[in-house]
Order: sequence, then C-alpha cells, then structure tokens
Amino acid sequence: MRPERSPSRRLFSAVASDVHFWIPLVVLLGGLFLLDKLH
Amino acid sequence: MKSSPASVPATSETQNPVQASRLRRLQGLGIFCGFAAGAWLGGAEAPIKLVNPEISPITVSLVMVCGVFLARWSVPAFLRGTAHVRSDVRQAPHLVIWAVLAGCMWAVANTLTIYAIRDVGLSIAFPLWNSNSLLGIFWGFLLFNELRHAGWKRWLGVLGGAVSMFGGAALLAIASSHQASPGRATMGVLAALGAGVLWGTMYIPYRKAYLTGMNPLSFITFFTVGELATMTILAVGYRGAGPLWNEISNARPVLFWLMAGGFVWVLGDLFQQYAAKYIGISRGIPLSNTNQLWGLLWGILVFHELRGGSRSVYLLVAGGSLLMALGAVAIALSSATEREHSSWQDAAYREGRRYGIEAEYVRAGMEGREFGDAAKKRSLVDWFLILSTTGLFAMLALIAKLPHSDLSRAWGVVLCVVMLALLAACGTALWRTTRFR
Repeated sequence: MRPERSPSRRLFSAVASDVHFWIPLVVLLGGLFLLDKLH
Repeated sequence: MKSSPASVPATSETQNPVQASRLRRLQGLGIFCGFAAGAWLGGAEAPIKLVNPEISPITVSLVMVCGVFLARWSVPAFLRGTAHVRSDVRQAPHLVIWAVLAGCMWAVANTLTIYAIRDVGLSIAFPLWNSNSLLGIFWGFLLFNELRHAGWKRWLGVLGGAVSMFGGAALLAIASSHQASPGRATMGVLAALGAGVLWGTMYIPYRKAYLTGMNPLSFITFFTVGELATMTILAVGYRGAGPLWNEISNARPVLFWLMAGGFVWVLGDLFQQYAAKYIGISRGIPLSNTNQLWGLLWGILVFHELRGGSRSVYLLVAGGSLLMALGAVAIALSSATEREHSSWQDAAYREGRRYGIEAEYVRAGMEGREFGDAAKKRSLVDWFLILSTTGLFAMLALIAKLPHSDLSRAWGVVLCVVMLALLAACGTALWRTTRFR
C-alpha cells in the first residue's frame, strides 16, 4: 500500500500536472531568454 | 488546499446558476472597475513624468516596484486586514505559486518595454505590447470558457471593441511619440512583442485565481513578491549592486514621485483585478487599457506635451481617442449572458476539482459573497504595515523636490479630483456589492 502524500506534495503535483501552468512558465522563460539577448 | 475534493460536484450543471439580478449587478460593477482601472493606471504615469530622465530606466522601474510592493501589502491590510489573506491562502494555497509566477512575468515584461522603447520608439512599441488584450481574449476563450454561448453580437462587441482600441492605441502612440529614428529595429520589435505576450499570458494566473474564488486583495500580496524579487535580480544583475545603490542614493529627491507612481498604479491595478474577476479577462483587460487615454490627458493638459504640434498630430490624437472610446463602449455593452456565465462556472468547478477546493468557496467567490467567518479584526501586523508605509511615504515627501517647472497645476488638480471621485464611487460600489470580496 502506498503511503499517503503530504499536502504540499499533493499541491505541487496538482500544479505540475496542470497544463495551464506550463504555458505562462514557458512564456516567462522565453521572456528571460529574450531579455538576456537584448542586454 | 482542502483534502476533500469529493465535496466538489462533477459538473456545474448540478449547480444553480447565479441569480440573474446578481449577475447583472456584478457585470455592471466589473465594467465600472475596468473604467476606474484605466483612469488610475493612466494617472500613475504622472508622477513618473516628474523624474529626471538621466536616471536609468531599470532603476526607475525598481524604485517604482518598491512603491508597488508597499502598496500591495498596506492597501489590503487597510481595506480588510491580512487575516483575510491568510484565510484565502488556507482555502487555495496553490494560488500562491500562480501569483508569484504572474509577478515574475510582469517584471520581465516591464523591463522588456524599456528596451523596446529604446530600440524602436514608443510609437511602434506601444501598439505591439498593447496587443496583450487580444491575447487575453484568446486565453480567456480557450482556457476559461469566456465568450462561449455568447452569440455573434457579443463576439463582435468584444473582439471588434478590442481591435478598435488596438487601432486607437496605435494612433495615439504615433501622435505622442518623440523618439529618435529606430536603431536596432528587429530586437526592439521582438522586445515589444515579447512584453505583449508576457502580459497577455499573465492573465492566465489572474483568471485562474478569480475563477477559483480568491480575493484580488489576497492575490496581489503574493503577486508582488514575484514582482519585487525578479525586478531586484534584474536590476542588480544589469546595473551591479554598488552602482545601483549609488544611483538610488543620488535620486533621493525623486524617490517619492517614483514610489507614489507605484502606489497610484496599484490602485489602478486593483480595479483591473476586480474587473478581471467579475467580467473576465476578455472584457476587463481591454477596458483597463483605456489607461492610454488618461496618460495622454495628463501629458497634454498638465505637462503640455503636444504644445505646438502640427495639425496632423492633433488629428491623430482625436482619431485615436475616438477609436479607443468607441472600442471601450462596445466592450462595456457586451456583458456576459447567463448562458455564458454558466460556462464560466463549468471552468470554475473544473479548477475546484483539480485543486480540491470547497465548492462553496468557489461559488461564494464567483458571486462576490463572503465565505466563512467574515468578521476578522485588524491585527497589530496590519497596523504596522499601514503606519510604516504611511511613515515612509511621509519621510520621502519631506525630502522630495518638484523637478518639473512647466506644469499646469490647475489641470493637475482637476484630474486628481476626477480620479479621486472615481476611486470613491467605484470603491463604494465594490464595498456595497461585494465587501471587497
């Protein structure tokens, strides 16, 4: 029987499996990359 | 995050739709908030115009964000107390991550605009990043069921209004541009587009939070952590800690104006957040983008920016303003129907199921009602936040100097009175209808 996950692990797992989360994250990383090129 | 997702129904079809009269009231409130946001976000440009252009834009941005940070903690403490923030976080802790992410996006986008203006000038850069509202409509439709079952008239109103405002923004930006000819054009265009994409996508966390039931006053307190942290890292990385500190020290006489700009901006942003909550991002964001009209009013009336301009410049200003105003009216007249709102509820309960949030919390948020025990007194922490922020602003005001001499103070007073009237009217409407929920 698998031990029950802690609330914080459940929270991060719910966020990480939410495809909506990856859209802004990828856009943010793209923005940082662009900023680096501009600087 | 509650551990009993079973309390959330499988679909919203089992839920009662929001009462029609309540829905109309919330929609009207959201539209009012969108217009108030435009006035206060536009007014935030005024204190910044007082600042000597020799201070580097990154430093200006950082100091302004410090003002933003203070406002984002003290205003919620003043309005409802931080106990409400803690209560919101207990209900939906995942939104802290979303809020910090949105704050990071804002800071990067804001820095990109500095490079965009430097490389291609305001006239090209502004309309490009102003496309964020079109992207907001796209994400609202795709991810959060906005404009579903809305009918072609509302589609036309929202999309046509946003395109009209985009065109108006382009004309106004061309008219108010005093930039030199473009240099590194490609990179500048990319920077402006990048800022637009970042801001347009930043509305995903906004909508996520407000569909789930979070209070905008709670969301912004965590948003600003990402904002200040990213801005500090960028400023220290680009300027170096020593030179940055020296520049801030030498800029003491204008720190008040920059931080006041940040404070005013936060009040505008708060109205924008309430607009996004009650009318969605597809309508709330374009309405808030009327800030460009207000910025132009400040520029023309108070700072005499277009004095001696040619006839074509005035024609551009008149045409651009008219297009923006027509676009805003079209959007304001296209509020969501009950059918569309029930699609929003579907998206809200989907979020509730994913993150295991109490259905009643989600519903109370959508209806602008209190959830749980509403009576929470302000704590010592709240009073400390309010008094220390007030004290710091008073101290900076004492050493502040007014560097700009060519000002029309009478027009400045008139615009301030109009903004304060909007603040009082919209603030009262928010309090009466939702208790700032």
